[in-house]
Amino acid sequence: MGAALAINVEEAVGELIQLVSFNLGDEEYGVEVLKVREIIRMPNVTRVPNTPYYVEGVINLRGKVIPVMSLRKRFSLGEAEYDKRTRIMVMEVENELMGFIVDSVSEVIRISASEIQPPPPVVKSGVDQECMSGVINQTERLLVLLDLEQVSSQDERRMLTSVTI
Amino acid sequence: MTMEIEDQELLEGFLAETTELLEKLDDDLVTLEKSPSDSDLLNRIFRSIHTVKGASSFLGFELLVKVTHKTEDVLNRLRKGELVVNPEIMDVILEAVDLVKLLVSDIRSGDIKEREVEGTLVKLLPLLSENAAEATVIPAATPQPEVVSAKRGKKKSTTKSEKSAETVVVLQNPVPEAPRVVAPEHAPVALKPVESKNEELADNSTVRVDVKRLDDLMNQVGELVLERNRMIQLNANYQGGENLDVFGGDFGKLTKRVNFVTSELQTQVLKLRMIPVEKVFKKFPRIVRNLARDLGKEVDLRLLGEETELDRSVVDEIGDPLIHLIRNALDHGLESPDERVAAGKSRVGTVVLSAAHEGNQIIISIKDDGRGVDPDRVGKKAVEKGLVTEEQLANMMPREILDMIFLPGFSTKEKASDLSGRGVGMDVVKTNIKKLNGIIDIKSELGKGSEFILKLPLTLAIIQSLLVEVNGEIYSIPLSAVLETLRVEVSEFHTISGKEVLKLRDSVLSLVRLENVFGVTGDYADNGSCYVVVVGVAEKRIGLVVSRLLGQQEVAIKSLGKYLANLAGIAGSTILGDGNVALIVDPVSLIDGREGVSAGRMAA
Repeated sequence: MGAALAINVEEAVGELIQLVSFNLGDEEYGVEVLKVREIIRMPNVTRVPNTPYYVEGVINLRGKVIPVMSLRKRFSLGEAEYDKRTRIMVMEVENELMGFIVDSVSEVIRISASEIQPPPPVVKSGVDQECMSGVINQTERLLVLLDLEQVSSQDERRMLTSVTI
Repeated sequence: MTMEIEDQELLEGFLAETTELLEKLDDDLVTLEKSPSDSDLLNRIFRSIHTVKGASSFLGFELLVKVTHKTEDVLNRLRKGELVVNPEIMDVILEAVDLVKLLVSDIRSGDIKEREVEGTLVKLLPLLSENAAEATVIPAATPQPEVVSAKRGKKKSTTKSEKSAETVVVLQNPVPEAPRVVAPEHAPVALKPVESKNEELADNSTVRVDVKRLDDLMNQVGELVLERNRMIQLNANYQGGENLDVFGGDFGKLTKRVNFVTSELQTQVLKLRMIPVEKVFKKFPRIVRNLARDLGKEVDLRLLGEETELDRSVVDEIGDPLIHLIRNALDHGLESPDERVAAGKSRVGTVVLSAAHEGNQIIISIKDDGRGVDPDRVGKKAVEKGLVTEEQLANMMPREILDMIFLPGFSTKEKASDLSGRGVGMDVVKTNIKKLNGIIDIKSELGKGSEFILKLPLTLAIIQSLLVEVNGEIYSIPLSAVLETLRVEVSEFHTISGKEVLKLRDSVLSLVRLENVFGVTGDYADNGSCYVVVVGVAEKRIGLVVSRLLGQQEVAIKSLGKYLANLAGIAGSTILGDGNVALIVDPVSLIDGREGVSAGRMAA
């Protein structure tokens, strides 16, 4: 994945990329705006039993039932109460909708592709290396670019193997 | 060849019509064998074949024309009374019809293959000559396959090959070298191709809908539009500051009407999806006939309630299990004619296949008057095969013993035959019925016969469900699986080797606490009593312990998506009236889960 994105990045040098930036704790993350379907407030979440603890459950998105996961829990960033700033980012992952719970969504930023640097080899935060597709180092902020497709596809694999055991 | 047909619509029309005619034909032919003097029936069969012939000649499907033409000739002789229906003639006609089906399915797939039709044709020919005063008639060019192969696909040749087939020559020695070509290919596999071809023939991508139903649907939609307008009006009134009491009253009325209209609409749409069970049933007379002949048994198959309608999704799934059950009834259930006479029964065994509605379920039963299932024999076999131990067997009730025939690998047959005995069949039945959220029941009386009863939901998209609360969380249990609900005191529970059970009349019911299975942590004021929902899937029953029953509701099944697929105990989800999501409990995997089999299942 890292390789594929690297190529993308190289091709896109100088091009502007739009990112949605969001917060998990004190850290700031970003995902490509085109991948985000919508951003909604926390509705009632129905817990789904026998799922990994970071899967909060399912929600009703205008008649569609979609799973939501807490990115905080997913990346082991500690739990936090949901408040009025909490948002669900609904993204299309492998042709299915999925919600990711984040502390808050701040803004859409434009950066040039050349600003994206490969992720540092060792990152202290709990974010899995594979889910991180780059780091954006602007003067007063550090933004971690996430690849959420990677997040869920990894989980799926993990869940599948756990089922077969 | 398809390329030549400019009008694709014409071809589709042809396929639809032909398929319909052919599906009916099998049934008619078998009936004809039983009542050879029924001239109406014979005429109908003749007309069907004739129509197929006419249409295929028009579209230039020569092979089809050839086969249907000869078949028609034979039928014509039957019609004129020059031949009398007997099983041998019927075998040949059925073979010809099978060939026609094969050719039609070739055309449907757009991949028209070279088919060996001469073998069947040659079998038909003697029928055209026998009893004929003059001599034996054989077409000139028949034994040369090139006639067929060389000319395929060329429109021009239609007339030519038809002519060649019709040209007749008087020969002294009938049927030259034909049996040699035919026999090895057709005889042993007589049964199998029939089934698979039937599947292929059934085209499920298009629906034929009664115009009346469509009109009804339109009417309902019209009603709905009216109610919508009414709602917009109400909202305008409300915004305009209408008296709240008046608004409340109007809104209440509107709610009732919308409720009425939508449920009507729902019924209508469901009806559009409904097809008569006849679609599945009608292939059985043919199968039973062949089976009976193969097994040397005499069988009278009776079909009841063929007009019973059920959802197409269910119809598609139910064919296989029924074939297995019918085979079982014939092979295991019914005795040979001599045995029957010795047992004081009539020579001819009876198998009754019936369908009926019962509430929101369809009941299909396969009943035979054969020897019945012997629990002792089943028990002995199960021990022999290592499926249960002697002690386990001793503790089992007769019912539970009978249920063991559904275990994979179980068979009482000493030797596996072509038809049954490998111990796969009943397992397939069980799996299929489970997939449909159905229940299977066995009734058996030794020496008198046995009956298999399938209870299936009418549709798979919308289900009746029982909403229950488990420590504050709401779950939905498919009502088709619910047998009864009980309010019990926790003190009435017993334990057997650490597992909770409940004495329910004369049986012992294993209990599953949903809060444990689903890890529900919420608090619930436990006042010592709770509810037990008895669910049954296929032949098994367990009790689900819940805190409260909330009532019955019709719910639309929503998939949980790939990410949450295969969760044990969860079949899907649904959206409740308040917009919250409730999970649908999957009784199948809960029951299996108790047996230590981890099987997840997903409703689509």
